[in-house]
Amino acid sequence: MDVVMPQLGETVREGTISAWRKQVGDPVGPDEPLFEVETDKVTVDVPAPAAGVLVEILVPVGERVEVGTRLAVIRVPGEAMFAMRGPGARVVTLSSARPTVPAMPVAIAEASPALDPPRTTGRITMPAIPTAIARAVGAELRLSPVVKRLIAEHHIDDPSVIPGTGAEGRITRDDVLAYVESRGAASGGGEPPAESLVPMSRIRQLTAEHMVRSLATSPHVLQAVEVDFHAVERLRGAAGEAFRAREGFSLSYLPFVARAVCQAIPEFPHVNASVRGDALVVHHRVHLGIAVDLDRQGLVVPVVKGAAGKTVRALAVEIHRLADRARRGQLAPDDLTEGTYTISNSGPFGTLITAPIIHQPQVAILSTDGVRKRPVVIERPAADGSAGGETSAGGETSAGGETSAGGETIDAIEIRPVGVLAQCFDHRAFDGAYSAAFLRRVREILEQANFEAELT
Amino acid sequence: MAELTYREAVAAGIAQEMARDDRVVMLGEDIADAGGVFKTTVGLLERFGPRRVRDTPISEQAIVGAAMGAAMTGLIPIAEIMFSDFFAVCWDMIANEIAKARYMTAGQMALPLVIRTANGAGSRFGAQHSQSVENWAMAIPGLKVVAPATPADVKGLMAAAVRDPDPVIFFEHKGLFATKGEVPDGEHVDRLGTARVLRQGSDVTLVALAAMVPRALDAAERLDREHRISATVVDVRSLVPLDTQTILAEVTRTGRMYTVEENPRLCGWGAELVSIVAEERFYDLDGPIIRITTPHVPLPAADALEDHAVPTVARIVDTVVRTAG
Repeated sequence: MDVVMPQLGETVREGTISAWRKQVGDPVGPDEPLFEVETDKVTVDVPAPAAGVLVEILVPVGERVEVGTRLAVIRVPGEAMFAMRGPGARVVTLSSARPTVPAMPVAIAEASPALDPPRTTGRITMPAIPTAIARAVGAELRLSPVVKRLIAEHHIDDPSVIPGTGAEGRITRDDVLAYVESRGAASGGGEPPAESLVPMSRIRQLTAEHMVRSLATSPHVLQAVEVDFHAVERLRGAAGEAFRAREGFSLSYLPFVARAVCQAIPEFPHVNASVRGDALVVHHRVHLGIAVDLDRQGLVVPVVKGAAGKTVRALAVEIHRLADRARRGQLAPDDLTEGTYTISNSGPFGTLITAPIIHQPQVAILSTDGVRKRPVVIERPAADGSAGGETSAGGETSAGGETSAGGETIDAIEIRPVGVLAQCFDHRAFDGAYSAAFLRRVREILEQANFEAELT
Repeated sequence: MAELTYREAVAAGIAQEMARDDRVVMLGEDIADAGGVFKTTVGLLERFGPRRVRDTPISEQAIVGAAMGAAMTGLIPIAEIMFSDFFAVCWDMIANEIAKARYMTAGQMALPLVIRTANGAGSRFGAQHSQSVENWAMAIPGLKVVAPATPADVKGLMAAAVRDPDPVIFFEHKGLFATKGEVPDGEHVDRLGTARVLRQGSDVTLVALAAMVPRALDAAERLDREHRISATVVDVRSLVPLDTQTILAEVTRTGRMYTVEENPRLCGWGAELVSIVAEERFYDLDGPIIRITTPHVPLPAADALEDHAVPTVARIVDTVVRTAG
């Protein structure tokens, strides 16, 4: 039976074989993990399609293949002959339900170093066979609760380095303790090491590769605007509590920024695009990527599909759902594909400004940084003789914005929640004026904040 | 220290308490003139007289009912049920009345009584006279349950049971009556709810009760001698209250637990221990917890079959050797 590259998601066309869980010659149970596939940042264990023996691996680890590619061959019992490889190998029949006991072990013994016959008799007993099979399929790494706990406590990354003395080579509690002691003895117990080696996780390696490639591909230009979140803050104040009670999480600035970006994109469509050769592919739908930090163990960018049609509330709910799934490691491969524009949100950490790196093949990325209360000079209509009075509702303009129409204005200092929106764009795609105009539009939308109707 | 048999220790424990407190009385079938069918009450009639050591008709319900009434009116009765199998005809009185009295009277009435009984197999008495029913008693809230394994524990725990303000079911083991052991001289009072560590090893922990305790000890010797497996042996002694501290500590030290139980497998006392260990010490376990029990069968009368049913030293050793790696 052929094993083929499965369709892991609607939009996933190819994947990389990152590990084979079985070796050629290994028995494979039904639904037992057979190999691991990586698509961007999601790793999936793929089970065997049938029980049998893995007789051939056609695609080595590290190779990227399209959906449907033949990857391996499983010989299903009763189907055909099964040939062990190696010097002196003989053909062994696994087709009958009860193999002839004397013949089979001898043949396997000659073929497989895993089956050492006892020196005294040279005869392999029946119990030796399941033991050897168990060893071959990695049963020695079936770890007891206390062993798992000790391995975690002593930061042993690869437990297979611990010599197992238990039944079938199982690692026992005492084996871990002995290993820890020997490791301590080997390091001499003297000076603490001046440095330590932290191997990069798979997601770290992927991120590293992507960042280098993005900077090498796109000439990045950073532009930033300062936004007065006063109006947004008033909406959050008015609707936030009800929102939290209804949705179960609080209403942050992020969905407002996402909404403003979606509203501004139709006027500046080239922001929502990618470069293909000498052309700019302008996407007519907005699939908004949201960078999510995985408890500082990595970064993923799940995508809000069809973001342009969503209200602030819908965006908030979808961003919350994706971030939650990301942190639980439950994102599907489809959740990470098709992004057309990305928002990176460092705001909760109180950053001033961040220059993000473009998520290829997109052409722009926006960072939302910390919002803090600051004294802001605003221009206000000079109301006859009552300059120091209450701020009039609705009449605000931002410090940098256009003066309100008509009449005298006076400068006043107010305390406003202010934050920076910083966009890096690919200068191949458009120029600074285009990007700046887009940012100005986003700022206007946020400062007007006509979102009351979108919060319920 | 004096060497007593297990059956002599029963009488010694009772005598110690009857001499100390006039309210302690005895009742049961053939306990007075005959000195008990297992000779566990020899000499008590002569020493304490027929008013305090009373033979009863063959009615287990009458015995426990009378004991309850005596306890309600200020005495401290020690009732004997000749074979623990006969608890089956007593359960309404024991489970519904005796066990519930303190609770249902909001503490106005306590029942300081002891129900002694001969429990367990080994005497070829067949399906109705050989059962280990400690797990039956353990399942009833309101009862304390003790099952000693040595003459010293018989005397000390008997004293503790008599002095306890609530009903205590006291399981004496038929297969142990002839065994001998040192018993402390003078007044000897033990504590309910305490297990005892009889032997400390580093590889596995065997947790046993009553007649299974000497077998677990023999098995531990053989495991050490023949298989280089070092075993701890814990004598549970008291099922209710249960000394979980000692048991959990000893299981944690080795990471492996085996219960050795004479009661039939389903819902045996070891199952309760397993659930406690799994819940509270999962991350200290280095392998599956394994129960060595009598299978879920009526006990046969034939000697070879009875020996085959109840856990033997060989079965304990084999099970540990096969699974301890």
